[in-house]
Amino acid sequence: MGALAIKNVTKSFGDTHILKGINIDIEAGEFLILVGPSGCGKSTLMNIIAGLESPTSGEVCIADRIVNEVAPKDRDIAMVFQSYALYPTMNVRQNIAFGMETRGVPKAEQNEVIARVAKMLQIDHLLDRKPSALSGGQRQRVAMGRALARNPKLFLFDEPLSNLDAKLRVEMRVEIKQLHQRLKTTIVYVTHDQIEAMTLGDKIAVMKDGVIQQFGSPEDIYERPANLFVAGFIGSPSMNFLPCHLVEQNGQVGVTLQGVEAPKFIALQDRAGLKERVGQKVILGVRPEQWDVENTPDALVCKVKITEPTGPDTMIYSEVNGVEMIARVHPRAASGPGTTLPLVLDVKKAVLFDPETELRIA
Amino acid sequence: MATPNAHYGFAERWLPRLVLAPSFFLTLVFLYGFIAWNGYLSFTESRLLPNYEWAGLVQYQALFENERWWVAVRNLGIFAVLFIGGAMAIGITLAILLDQKVRGEGAIRTIYLYPMALSFVVTGTAWKWMLNPGLGLEKLMHDWGFTSFTFDWLVNSDMSIYTVVIAGLWQSSGFVMALFLAGLRGVDDSIIKAAQIDGASLPRIYWKIILPALRPVVFSTLMILSHIAIKSFDLVMALTGGGPGFSSDLPATFMYSMAFTRGQTGLGAASAMMMLATVAAIVVPYLYSELRKDQHG
Repeated sequence: MGALAIKNVTKSFGDTHILKGINIDIEAGEFLILVGPSGCGKSTLMNIIAGLESPTSGEVCIADRIVNEVAPKDRDIAMVFQSYALYPTMNVRQNIAFGMETRGVPKAEQNEVIARVAKMLQIDHLLDRKPSALSGGQRQRVAMGRALARNPKLFLFDEPLSNLDAKLRVEMRVEIKQLHQRLKTTIVYVTHDQIEAMTLGDKIAVMKDGVIQQFGSPEDIYERPANLFVAGFIGSPSMNFLPCHLVEQNGQVGVTLQGVEAPKFIALQDRAGLKERVGQKVILGVRPEQWDVENTPDALVCKVKITEPTGPDTMIYSEVNGVEMIARVHPRAASGPGTTLPLVLDVKKAVLFDPETELRIA
Repeated sequence: MATPNAHYGFAERWLPRLVLAPSFFLTLVFLYGFIAWNGYLSFTESRLLPNYEWAGLVQYQALFENERWWVAVRNLGIFAVLFIGGAMAIGITLAILLDQKVRGEGAIRTIYLYPMALSFVVTGTAWKWMLNPGLGLEKLMHDWGFTSFTFDWLVNSDMSIYTVVIAGLWQSSGFVMALFLAGLRGVDDSIIKAAQIDGASLPRIYWKIILPALRPVVFSTLMILSHIAIKSFDLVMALTGGGPGFSSDLPATFMYSMAFTRGQTGLGAASAMMMLATVAAIVVPYLYSELRKDQHG
């Protein structure tokens, strides 16, 4: 059963095209992340799913029902907003009850739901407080409680953690994940934070300029990014993009990389369609953690420019093929600025992009 | 804090006081001094000229037995309720309508706010011409052929006070709208979205969520409108002159005619004290609650 299906949805204001044909399909119980830089149309798409805006063309189906003409309140959805959007003059209890009151839920049942939700989110002791007397994290819980009280088919989270401080954000992220595992409802979650996207999502839709750049599982997106944008957007520090030429040596297709010593040939094994491109320019995409410090003859010797210890790992900034490159290495293997370091590439995980189309080749 | 330069320290300490002294002194004399003087006069038998012989409460007794005073008080009641209530209702409605992302909002807002730029005298004069049966609306309708049309409130002693209400509403509703529009703009958009998803209709959203959140705006607007209502003088003078007869008198016009045209200074002073008491009854509790909030805030 499809929980949410978006078919060819577009949204334009005059000549400004915010969404250019969005297609998404997720199953019940899945956690969908819409991620992208600001202005990519993710919030507009969210508003269209919620029914707060209507699409210029295309169809939105929730639980196999076309809801284009259905009012937000009849879509069986609940939404959590970035600014929490709590009703300022009502206390927590009234905030949670407001929707049920509007729908005419009997008082006894309301109290039951409030008690259940408050217990689940540990906000029992806050029920009689006004939102202004709550901390950011507590407001966030209340906003989630208000959504949970509805017990909807679809939860919508619009950048819910953006207003929290870093520590609280991590805590709430885990809580949202727990909540999802417990309730098994379908969630659509908008964020611009790629870590939230990777940690929470079952499916991720990476958006840019009103187009879905890639739609897939977090592993797909991380290991097989569809294009340079997705590769650069997901992952921190970003993937390194090293410009090179495809060459053939001893019957093997590969690229040459140059650190401080003579260029090294690195063979790219078993990849389809590379033979035809020999001689062409390509971009080799290597994630920082795909480098290892290893003193072998095959190692690429690089000069360390800057080191950034993060605790568990140390980031090494150096230069390869004329561009800056970051390697994430073990702190004990790292050496200080000005020294050289032999780095070995995990070739199997490296990806290749066409510099013209920016699409992944292999 | 010790200042290295004694001369500079002296200036720093005395300059603010020196600068504030003239306005402080003027306020003390011309505001509080004259209030006190007026208060004293209200306990004397002053007629055309002040008379400083203590006479107790005779003026207040005379005031409370004066039929014209009670007409003025009753008129103030009608005017205040209709003016404040009407201006709030119209202003809030306009603000909510204008908040729905209307095209040309800037122009519309200016048009509604413009009457506030006119003085009450101009408003009163303009409406006097429009409501004059031989000159304005009634004549226009007659000229168009609706000869049975009558609108003679201006010259009807039962209805004249309502013309003051109409002119007052025309002048002040736009101002109320501006205050509420500013308040509405401060409300987070996503609160409205959240309420829509919760299933609330637009009137319910405004009534249950947004207007309660604008309580401070409601209070300040009430304060501003109430003191405009109680002080109302120029509008009545320009529009009806208190007439026909004294049917549209307000306490302020009553005070003016007693003190300055009919040589009843003592009686005028007593009525002025009654107005002061009314304003104080509204302002003092408000100030008290606001100041207390500041201390605890």
